[in-house]
Amino acid sequence: MKKEKIFEDLFRAIVGLDEEKGKEAANELVKEKLDPLEGVEKGLSRGMKVMGERFEKLEIYLPELIMAGDVFNSVMEILEPEILARGKSIEKKGTVVLGTAKGDIHEIGKDIVAMLLKVAGFEVYNLGKDVPDSTFLEEAEKVKADIIGISSLLTTTMLGQKELIDILRERGTRDKYIVMIGGGPTSQNWADEIGADGYGKTAEDAVSVALELISRKGN
Amino acid sequence: MVSFAEVINRALTGPYYSEKDYNLKLFVPKLRETVKKYEIKYDPENVIPLDDDLAERVFKAGVELYSNVGTYCVDSHRVIQFTEAEIKEALATAPSAPIFGEGKDTKALVARKPESNIPPWCFLGACGVAVSNEEIFESIIRGYGGIPFADSITTPSLATLDGTQVRAGSPIEILACIKAVTLTRDGLRKAGRPGLPIMNSIATAVSDQAKIAGSQFGLRPSDGWLIGSMAELKVDYERLNEIAYVTSLGGHVVAETSPILGGYCGGPEGVAVTSVAYHIQSILVFRGSCQDSFPIHIRTSCNTDKETMWAISVSNQAISSNSHFPLLTIVILSSGPETEMEFYETAAQIITDVVSGGSIESPGGAKNACIDHISPMTPQWASEVAYAVTGMKRDEANEVVNRLLSKYENNLDNPPEGKKYQECYNIKTLEPSREYVALYKKAKKELTGYGLKFKY
Repeated sequence: MKKEKIFEDLFRAIVGLDEEKGKEAANELVKEKLDPLEGVEKGLSRGMKVMGERFEKLEIYLPELIMAGDVFNSVMEILEPEILARGKSIEKKGTVVLGTAKGDIHEIGKDIVAMLLKVAGFEVYNLGKDVPDSTFLEEAEKVKADIIGISSLLTTTMLGQKELIDILRERGTRDKYIVMIGGGPTSQNWADEIGADGYGKTAEDAVSVALELISRKGN
Repeated sequence: MVSFAEVINRALTGPYYSEKDYNLKLFVPKLRETVKKYEIKYDPENVIPLDDDLAERVFKAGVELYSNVGTYCVDSHRVIQFTEAEIKEALATAPSAPIFGEGKDTKALVARKPESNIPPWCFLGACGVAVSNEEIFESIIRGYGGIPFADSITTPSLATLDGTQVRAGSPIEILACIKAVTLTRDGLRKAGRPGLPIMNSIATAVSDQAKIAGSQFGLRPSDGWLIGSMAELKVDYERLNEIAYVTSLGGHVVAETSPILGGYCGGPEGVAVTSVAYHIQSILVFRGSCQDSFPIHIRTSCNTDKETMWAISVSNQAISSNSHFPLLTIVILSSGPETEMEFYETAAQIITDVVSGGSIESPGGAKNACIDHISPMTPQWASEVAYAVTGMKRDEANEVVNRLLSKYENNLDNPPEGKKYQECYNIKTLEPSREYVALYKKAKKELTGYGLKFKY
């Protein structure tokens, strides 16, 4: 029973945006020598999934989604060493590097995609806005990314998506990464035209496409 | 009023915050506090509320919010703060009737009040939607110049120059900006209205240098330089550079603001209050001649849904009842040209804006996201509706808007993109297709039946 209560407390900490409660539950889990991975799955991740669904229906707004992510990260600082000490690791769906194309300062949509990808189990490196091609490439290399995501809200910056793919081709590293694009003026046609692997019309779409592409890569 | 030099000084020396802390530890909690303190509550039954006290509370909440959170400079990471006394002074001394245009098309942009009998300023055109080439650009400008109620023009952006795609930040951006200005002036001259002001400066420009360089090739001080804030209540050095240039020139800044429903503002109540805060930012930081506001819904990427229109109505009422600084609202449609939905969405939003005390910037179609998905018909229809509801009472308007919403709101998640300009117009003769004209006539007849008094 104690185990179930701890998992429930972890879940409640996420949906209630209560960092202290989350840390207390995590410390209790460690003290009771429970499986931290089970705590992540049945507590934290379940909570993040619920928050993602609530955001999709706009029952909560962007700040709550970000704060839930912060609680998750904070509690993981306690659980992660325990997981590693047991010789295990958190199963992640893949690693994503994403940002907004050079010259483009819009980033709220991209930030939502980043949060929802985290909720779905990806490790996400959010490079921010107005990101040069070189930064995408360096970061992707550094963190051994599976996916590079590049967003654009303007017709004059969406060319940055094409430029990045062209550079990958020229360097002979195109096949190393899944490249996904998104943003207002982009479309599946544009993705096809420039040779992107995936296009997300909405933030939720982007997550589904990322999951689909990563599972195909795994096979 | 606090000088622009002092604004820059505060951008360099104000309190330091990381951007995340500004968002989550300053803006969001202060906004929620004020919404609660002033008991602001969304009412889905009344898109256009008939509640003067609510408008007063929203205005007070917006002033209080802005005095607490100021404007965040993303480059210096500092907050540009103002006292409540400085805000009141700015509201008292802000421009009240800026004059735009040249010759016969010279006109003062006058602030309105809710249910005002003064016709709204009609800032008509493309809302910055991209067009694929120079031929289409020039043709559609001629089309906009031919709209009888047009007081100023909002231009498209140019996606290609001589067949090459325009890349922001590259030299081609500067060349495309120059071309966009010369094409607009040519198009308006051919339309017989050479003095009509361009009020969104150069939509093709993303960078400050491209906008400033392009403006040397035909923009006038009597035009408007559209300079946009970043969500929420943020500015960067590039925007401040543009403001420094335009104020030194003696030109008009059109201060664009776009609170996001579902983002850091939260729901419609937060958007309404933040819109008022943006109004003050437009005067003090952006040194504007008017505020050009487009609250937008995070999921539908338009502002013709019920929640966003409520926020627009309430904030327009709040601002126009308490400030003489002119306010326009930009309409962003989810549907595109030559669709029935386009006429309903446009009418609903325009009625909401005008009856609530605002002027209009006419619709950007298909969420402003599809190249060439614009037409002169859309802004023409918008202006006809705007004049037809000038002086209409809020309760009557509320009923009409509710009827219109019932015709399209279920389609907002999956709207028809409609047709490209060149598919629904003859771009040489500027004649709309027969199908488009039929849709226009049908909509006009239907809305006449709802009580709208069209001028022609």
